[in-house]
Parts: sequence; structure tokens; C-alpha cells
Amino acid sequence: MAQFSPVTGHYVTIDVLGDECKVFYLENGEGTPLVCQHTAGCHNHQWRYLLEDEDITSNYRVIAYDLTNHGKSDPPTNKEWWKQEYRLTADWYTAFITSFCDALELEKPIFAGCSFGGNEALQLALRHPERFGGIVSIEGADYSPGFFLDWWQHPHANAAQVSASGVWDLMAPQSPDADRAATWFYYTQGSEAFRGDLYFYSVDHDLRGRLGEIDTSTCPLVLITGEYDYLTTPEDSQRTADGISGATFIKMEKIGHFPMSENYPVFKGYFQQALNQIQEESQAAMAR
Amino acid sequence: MATETAVADRWVEEFTRVCNQDEELQAHGKFFDCSYLLDMGSHKYQIVMHHGKVEEILVDPGPLDLRYQFLIRAGEDTWREFGKKEPRPMAHGIWAATFREDMELEGDLLVLMQNLRCVTRQMELLRVSGVPVHEEVSAPQQREPST
Repeated sequence: MAQFSPVTGHYVTIDVLGDECKVFYLENGEGTPLVCQHTAGCHNHQWRYLLEDEDITSNYRVIAYDLTNHGKSDPPTNKEWWKQEYRLTADWYTAFITSFCDALELEKPIFAGCSFGGNEALQLALRHPERFGGIVSIEGADYSPGFFLDWWQHPHANAAQVSASGVWDLMAPQSPDADRAATWFYYTQGSEAFRGDLYFYSVDHDLRGRLGEIDTSTCPLVLITGEYDYLTTPEDSQRTADGISGATFIKMEKIGHFPMSENYPVFKGYFQQALNQIQEESQAAMAR
Repeated sequence: MATETAVADRWVEEFTRVCNQDEELQAHGKFFDCSYLLDMGSHKYQIVMHHGKVEEILVDPGPLDLRYQFLIRAGEDTWREFGKKEPRPMAHGIWAATFREDMELEGDLLVLMQNLRCVTRQMELLRVSGVPVHEEVSAPQQREPST
């Protein structure tokens, strides 16, 4: 008997600062839009379990897109991108997400991004809190230097394996072998974008000294970080949350930097805590 | 000293067996050819790999015994943690421990990167063979295989 998933895929073409981007996204569920950003050099299959989890999809319309240059979202169709070095910037990344949400006519979606998506979540909280019903920054911090490396694209090494095995230690040893292997496998597919994504992650994203400008009064912000994440440690996320009035930090135990992909059952409990926190804060804000 | 020698000898034999019988390493190790040093504080172990098999392990090699391409160095405590089935965060991998603990990677790092998939797997096999830093944590029969 064939088993069909309730998850569906679509393409939508959007404009991002003049770039024509045909964006692929997966979605399932009904309710508050929950827009999910994968990690650097990866794609939306990292959200495979969340997309099919009825506990979530019964209350949320889960939408997981591939950022341009990732997965099934090709590089911009109206520019000779192959003549440029790919370097993602905070301006472009932010414009992509707001343009995507506009195209889908999402009202007050919740944004959940991991790793470079967790850092972008903080950019959104700073720049566009009025557009979102809440933000979850997963493995995010104000600043995360050290990973904009040439090894990801060195022609004398196997870039697919260097990218995939280079992030292996970001996962917890307790996470299931099959899910760690799947996450490794995804990382063999994105080495060309990985380094450019990390330009944003480790260089262009720097909110040191600006956390006090983030307004969480109408857009609740929750940071959740795994204790085996050696890039953005729980201490980094805690420090970041401490600098933002109204932000909440939750430490995830026995899990690493790709929580939704490497060990969904453990991630789910913490993620639900974050969503509940956002819901409670939103209701409290409306009551004021 | 005799006890330490026995520990080292037993570990060399066990680590060789575990690596050469590991399905994952053997499935992907056809071109895994390199020589590297594990510096574990009081002792050093030089691992010589050929076609994915452990060809030789030198215990405390002399300075000119055999050339190696890169080394992985850390204190005994870091290695002891690394070898546990559930190591503490930041001592759980060579990247993690290099970024956050006292581990150091030296030498021709290009060779490490070229062999990263297999080296990463081989380091995890220390959780099966045990780590030869202290006798009580080096006996492989005390630890369940990680696979």
C-alpha cells in the first residue's frame, strides 16, 4: 500500500532586491503560519518531521522553504550569478523572507530559523517586529564568528564531504544514527552555498551593541539552543537573550546544532515550549 | 610502566581490529591513505592508514621514526571524555574540542580535510575501542559499542 504524505510542494516567484527568485516550499497544516528556515548550506528537508507532525500541523500552517541557492530554489534567474562569488548578506536575507511572506499573503506569521536562520531570526526581530506574530531563534546569537572558512570550497578536497563531516560534530552523540546520517547527507548537497551562507553567519551578522534596540512588545522572541552546539553555545544564546528586553532563552539538553533534523522527539518538546511561550505572550500583549 | 605498556599494546590491537572491521569505515575507506599522530599527553600514537585499513600504529614514535601529515593533540581529560559513549558537550568531537577545549590540529590540514569523513568516523571508533589514557577507561570490555 502506497503511503502519501500530506505535505505538498509549490514554487512561487518573488522579487528580492531586484533578483528574480523562483522559490520552492513545502507546507502542511492549518492555523497560524509557521515559516521555517533551514540551516546554512542545507534545505527544507531538515523540517521533515515537523511538517508531518499532527500535534503541530493541527494548529499551525507549517511552511518550510528552500532559500534561494539551496535545495530546489535555483539561483536568481535574471542575473549571471555564476560570475560572482556568492555571499549572503543580512539585507538580502531579510528582503527574501519579507518578500516570500508577502507573496504568500501571510498575516503575522511566526518565524522559526536555525543556525544562520537563528541569526536571521534576530535580524527580523530587530528590523521587522511589526510583521511577525513571534520569532523563534534556534541556535542563534548576536555574533557567531569563526566559520567563514575556505575549506568548504577548497578544490583540493572533497567539498561535499568536508562540509558534511565538518558539521558532524555540531550534532550530539546521543542523536539517532539514522537522523545524523540524513543530516550529513543533506550537507553533501549544498557545499557551493555553504561558504557564502557562512559569510552572513560569521561576518555580516553582528548585532553586538544593538540588542537593546530589539522590541519584543508585540513580537515575542524565544531563543532555544542545544548544549552540544560548539558554534553558538547555550552561553552565547543566553548572553544574547539577556541583552534583549522581554526575550526568553531555553537550553536544550542532549542535542546539538541541527535539533529539528538530528533528533526531532527531543527538539519537539522544547519547540512546543517556545511556541506556547509566544502564544502566552501574544495573548498577554493583546489583553494590555 | 609495564602496565602502561600492556595498556598501549592492548589498545593498539583492539583499535586496529575495531577499525578494520568497521562496516562504515570499510565502505568508504578505499582512498583513506594517510599517517597522523594522536597526541594524548603522556603518550603519542601514530596511525598509519592504507586503503582504509590500519596498516600500523606506532606507540610513542621517535622524532624521526616515520613521517606523519597532521596531528590531533589534546590533554588526557579531553581524550578521556571523547572516548565516553556520552561525552560532555564540547569534548564530543575533534571540531568541537578544537573550537572549545584544549584540542589542537596541526600539520598539513589539507590532508585532514581530504580524509575528513573517514578520520571523523575513526575518531568515533575510540568510543568502541576505548582511549588509552588511563587503564580504567581503556579497557574496551567496560564499554558497549556505539553502533
